[in-house]
Amino acid sequence: MTHWFHRNPLKATAPVTFNYYGVATTPAATKICNDLRLSRTRLLELFTDLSCNPDMMKNATDSYFSLLKGFIASLDESSQDSKLRYIQNFKWTDTLQGHVPSAQQDAVFELVSMGFNVALWYTKYASRLAGKEDITEDEAKDVHRSMKIAAGIFKHLKESHIPKLITPVEKGRDLEARLIDSYVIQCQAEAQEVTIARAIELKHNPGLIAALAYETANFYQRADQMLSSLDPVYALKWRKYLQLKSCFYMAYAYCYHGQTLLASDKCGEAIRSLQEAEKFYAKAEALCKEYGETKGPGTTAKPSSHLFFRKLGTLVKNTLDKCQRENGFIYFQKIPPEAPQLELKANYGLVEPIAFEFPPLHALWTPEALAAFDLTKRPKDDSAKPKSEEEVKPVKEPDIKPQKDTGCQIS
Amino acid sequence: PSIPEGTPTEAKNKDGVLVDEFGLPQIPAT
Repeated sequence: MTHWFHRNPLKATAPVTFNYYGVATTPAATKICNDLRLSRTRLLELFTDLSCNPDMMKNATDSYFSLLKGFIASLDESSQDSKLRYIQNFKWTDTLQGHVPSAQQDAVFELVSMGFNVALWYTKYASRLAGKEDITEDEAKDVHRSMKIAAGIFKHLKESHIPKLITPVEKGRDLEARLIDSYVIQCQAEAQEVTIARAIELKHNPGLIAALAYETANFYQRADQMLSSLDPVYALKWRKYLQLKSCFYMAYAYCYHGQTLLASDKCGEAIRSLQEAEKFYAKAEALCKEYGETKGPGTTAKPSSHLFFRKLGTLVKNTLDKCQRENGFIYFQKIPPEAPQLELKANYGLVEPIAFEFPPLHALWTPEALAAFDLTKRPKDDSAKPKSEEEVKPVKEPDIKPQKDTGCQIS
Repeated sequence: PSIPEGTPTEAKNKDGVLVDEFGLPQIPAT
């Protein structure tokens, strides 16, 4: 296993038929409704289809969102709402709150909720790819890009669409700023993990690696702090993950900073830096255990037994041994009582989200097609209690078992 | 028109250094 990432469950939704008998008065209007139903079903199927790739996802999202857009904005792209915006009730669960859905009769709610799931899909696709035993350079690029796309979608939803919702977002729900910001930062930090692995493989300067690891640790810490005011019942497992990753990358930062110090003949300080790396590694190991024991939404794993985790422990130990050996033979320097201050700024490898835009309006949305929706023909009993088929069933996500990871390579 | 420099995959960071798709320098500094 090259990388390991925690993932929260996908959002689940109730089926939507887009059947508006009497309201859709022409074949063109009915076709839009049928295409909406089909493209929505197709997109929901792809979320759990292991053979789905980013191209397939892009086509499916473009199809659905370009049609849904006619329910949101007016055809002339002005800021006016579509007359159809409030015609349909949509139900969505949240990633942390189990099977209790939120419902809003608003197409913007559907847009942001489905968009959120698309972003989650990109993170899950990246996670599956990154979890392979020997990831190729092209796969690493795909993982890196998918994380940046996901971060861009989350950011776009937060900045441009969630503020348009009429009903304010409830606390602890996915569309709340604290959660969405945590998702964005987690995507950035995980993409940087891929970059750190590449920097190590290509033997980049230890100073560069230490700085990027330090900033990545801080990203994880920030994401964790954002979730600190949420109910621990559903946020604790995710927080344990963010905490363990923060400690893990602090250990990386101190380990590579120690190498920089040693290279500039500061062997005593290097030893102290490596000792700090050992401390953070032990802390990360304890948090891995706590993560495994914490109940909550998301993946189940024992990250401390994975090769990527054990590899750092060996590196810290070997580097510390080397520093102590050299200090005993060459330098004879005192080991300072305080750990070196890490004031490292990464000049390379920091990840920015890829700007995301929803597709343009579908060509089926002509002024005539829109005019053919006659809202005066709407049934009066719209608010009647939901039918059983509208209930939200949990998403059955494919069981992703970690692949065999022996750490052995055949060259 | 001027002749384009470099290959299409090349990009520069804010300091004008050539970087790869991960934002790492094209030539490792070690």
